[in-house]
Amino acid sequence: MANILPTAKRHCWQPILIFSFLTFFVFIQDNCWPHNDKYGGTLVLATTSDPKSFNDIIAKETSTTTVTGLIFEGLTRTNAFTLKVEPHLAERWEVTNDGREWIFYLRRDVVWNDGQPFSADDVVFTFNDLIYNNKIPSSARDIFTLEGEIFKVEKIDDYTVRFTLPIKFAPFLRGMGQAILPKHKLEQSVNEGKFNFTWGIDTDPKEIVGTGPFKLVAYKPGERLVFEKNPLYWRHSDAGDRLPYLSKIIYRIVQSHDAEILKFLEGELDYVSLMRGNEYPLLKPLESKRNFKIYDVGANFGSQFLCFNQNTGINPANNTPYVDQVKSSWFTDIHFRQAVAHAIDKEKMIEILKNGLGYPQNGPMSPSAGFFYNPDVKKYTYDIDRARAILKQAGYQDRDGDGIIEDKGGHKVSFNLYTNSNNPDRIQIAAIIRHDLRQLGMEVNFLPLEFNTLVSKLNATFDWDAIILGLTGGIEPHFGKNVWHSLGQLHMWHPRQAQPATDWEARLDQIFDQGVKELDENKRKELYDEWQMIASEKLPFIYTILGSNIFAIRDKFGNLKPTSYGGAFHNLEEIYIQKGVIASSPNK
Amino acid sequence: MTVNIMLKYIFKRLIVVIPLLLAMSLLTFVFMQKTTGSFYDSLRMDPLISQETIDRYVQLYQLDRPLLYQYGHWVVNLFRLELGYSFYYNIPVVNVIKGRLWNTFILSLASLIVTWGLAIPLGVWAALHRNRWIDRCIQMFSYIALSTPSFFLAILLLYAASRTGWLPLGGMHSVHYEQLSFMGKTVDLLQHLAIPAVCLSFASIGSLQRIMRGNMLEVLGQQYVLTARAKGLPENRVVYGHVLRNAINPLITLLGYSFSSLLSGAALLEIICGWPGLGSLMLTAVRSKDIYLVMASFMMGGVLFLIGNLLADILLARADPRIRYE
Repeated sequence: MANILPTAKRHCWQPILIFSFLTFFVFIQDNCWPHNDKYGGTLVLATTSDPKSFNDIIAKETSTTTVTGLIFEGLTRTNAFTLKVEPHLAERWEVTNDGREWIFYLRRDVVWNDGQPFSADDVVFTFNDLIYNNKIPSSARDIFTLEGEIFKVEKIDDYTVRFTLPIKFAPFLRGMGQAILPKHKLEQSVNEGKFNFTWGIDTDPKEIVGTGPFKLVAYKPGERLVFEKNPLYWRHSDAGDRLPYLSKIIYRIVQSHDAEILKFLEGELDYVSLMRGNEYPLLKPLESKRNFKIYDVGANFGSQFLCFNQNTGINPANNTPYVDQVKSSWFTDIHFRQAVAHAIDKEKMIEILKNGLGYPQNGPMSPSAGFFYNPDVKKYTYDIDRARAILKQAGYQDRDGDGIIEDKGGHKVSFNLYTNSNNPDRIQIAAIIRHDLRQLGMEVNFLPLEFNTLVSKLNATFDWDAIILGLTGGIEPHFGKNVWHSLGQLHMWHPRQAQPATDWEARLDQIFDQGVKELDENKRKELYDEWQMIASEKLPFIYTILGSNIFAIRDKFGNLKPTSYGGAFHNLEEIYIQKGVIASSPNK
Repeated sequence: MTVNIMLKYIFKRLIVVIPLLLAMSLLTFVFMQKTTGSFYDSLRMDPLISQETIDRYVQLYQLDRPLLYQYGHWVVNLFRLELGYSFYYNIPVVNVIKGRLWNTFILSLASLIVTWGLAIPLGVWAALHRNRWIDRCIQMFSYIALSTPSFFLAILLLYAASRTGWLPLGGMHSVHYEQLSFMGKTVDLLQHLAIPAVCLSFASIGSLQRIMRGNMLEVLGQQYVLTARAKGLPENRVVYGHVLRNAINPLITLLGYSFSSLLSGAALLEIICGWPGLGSLMLTAVRSKDIYLVMASFMMGGVLFLIGNLLADILLARADPRIRYE
């Protein structure tokens, strides 16, 4: 600082020195809002896979949404506590015309992170030119298409958009969490037909323009993603602070979950999710020593289940049934499936897989799903005697004393069990089920398969007996339609039915056809409660367990409000580093 | 060998390379296409994605066209130096590889330097002190090195690093890499390079050392060495001027072959040490059937292998006057 002092004016150097010192002191702080010490700091997280793209329309899997979730926003947002839909980029909306016409009034204070104003043009562009574009393969399109028809999206004025739906669509508002992309950045690539290859991982981060609280500043493949706060972000806290508080977010790309745990313990990460049961007793005792806290926010979403092949179709290639007739008679027998459900020791599974930190699952939805979750579904307690009694009544018994039961025709009950080899949880579940069913007298041949092979069996050749699989899940039942409707592609136990094969599958079709159109929440709940009841009674899937959503967070953040639906950082823009801990994570 | 003959020889070899590469690529292509499953299988298991969307993806990359058409299209683009698009990343394959090429190259180069830098001196030392305890120690070390799986060593070293904190726990750069000075960056890189490079070279050190030792002993037993000593040459001159030079000749071909592994990347080690290289990229590509990414990597490996062979032969011809190529 000395060399900026004018040497001639020796009498004036004192106030100049003081002024310089003060300015220097102000500028060394890591923020531009000197009156509030919530600002600043870095959050360091980890991810086990590189993003495959920054293009939210083309790529929707987790490694991409980790990135795009920070940069882009939708007209609405789901509140992670109440699980209700809230206004976000739209400040309010109106619904008319019997639930088919929606008018959204957009916020006027939103700008893109390159300074351009956000307007209805961007919303219309995102839908009409991207999502509904025939040349762009996008899974978002499937959500916004009803009975084969797309929605009409029109600009009314710069801040008003009208959506006209072909029929009533109950999940519409929730679906409007769909990210809105900038017209001024992407219009050209769409017109040139190059959109599918735009915003890939080789893009200059400055080009990825969104309205969200953070923007991407660097991506080193295999190493890390660096985000910085968007200084033009529109949201303010209740006290009037401009959000976000954090200056930087770094995602370190680690090769395995074990490496992640190790790095967290070494102080290199601020967060880690405890996915395996044995990690909790490892980390819990180190809480105070390594300055972190473990949160258990309830059951995870999704499901893992055992599914029997109930396909009664004939293979047109060789005119034989897809599934061996003898086995098919077992799998389609409800008593067989009920007995199997009673023979699976879920508590033991929770003990072995999750170290006691899990929940037995009996229906398709997770208890964390809130409003639509039906807690009264049929439950199957672990009861081998009852299982044997059910089987005996249905004609399955061990008549020759070799430990394996036979069916009415004298065939020994023996079948294959497959799962995908790259999922260690499912392999353990399969081992436990195999053991449990052996007690019951069934011989199970377990074989882990490469994922592609498994998918081919499920969708093309149908040559499988039993399978252990999982599905992701959420709070909106309609998004599982492809699994439960008899015409759905993921109707795994018996896909591609020309007509519903059973009465209960016909009823499920009705439920899903009606539930999507019913705008009265309570009537919807009745329908979907019935769905969960049918699922638990008819057992197309025999559910196993749900893990607890457990994670560890370093003790330096304020405003943490973790939930099972939102995870640890759903309110990322409100989170700040507590006073006295402004420095970023240790230098390693 | 005159320069003219050499050039003719190189030219002849290169002519053969082209059909060889095409054959390799065709074989790879057929394997990738004909094995069960396809890239978009994972999309089929997502309840939110319709068949129409999957069809659109398939059409985008022409996966529904006849195989010969797809292959022909790829070959034609090859001559324009376009290697196709990755289904996974939706960007040109070249851009995907570019991001990781340098990383794998550095690791392989470091491993090469470590291997040769340690194995040659150890082999010479062992040969010169044959059957004394230093030789026996080195021999034992070689046996251990040869039989230790590299990934096991990596896990051990990473565990040791986590307990002592001397070296970073995998990865290629630390989080604050950008803020470091040039010197700081070099040190940081070397620290991260230490464990993977050592693990990668461990087994090779063992085998190369034994070969070097064997060669040295063979040459030491030759008549002209006895003559040189009888002539009164200092022992240093005999060993390092004559014996070493002759003993190392056969290893030059090995160096040529090592060249070809420079860009192949050791997938398992890269995954364990978190090294962002080509190996892990390619493993994922093969398993998920990202066809053009796999083809590009095989072509790269194939080109390097054939060039490496050529290089080895040429180096040998230069070094060993007994060899003539007609």
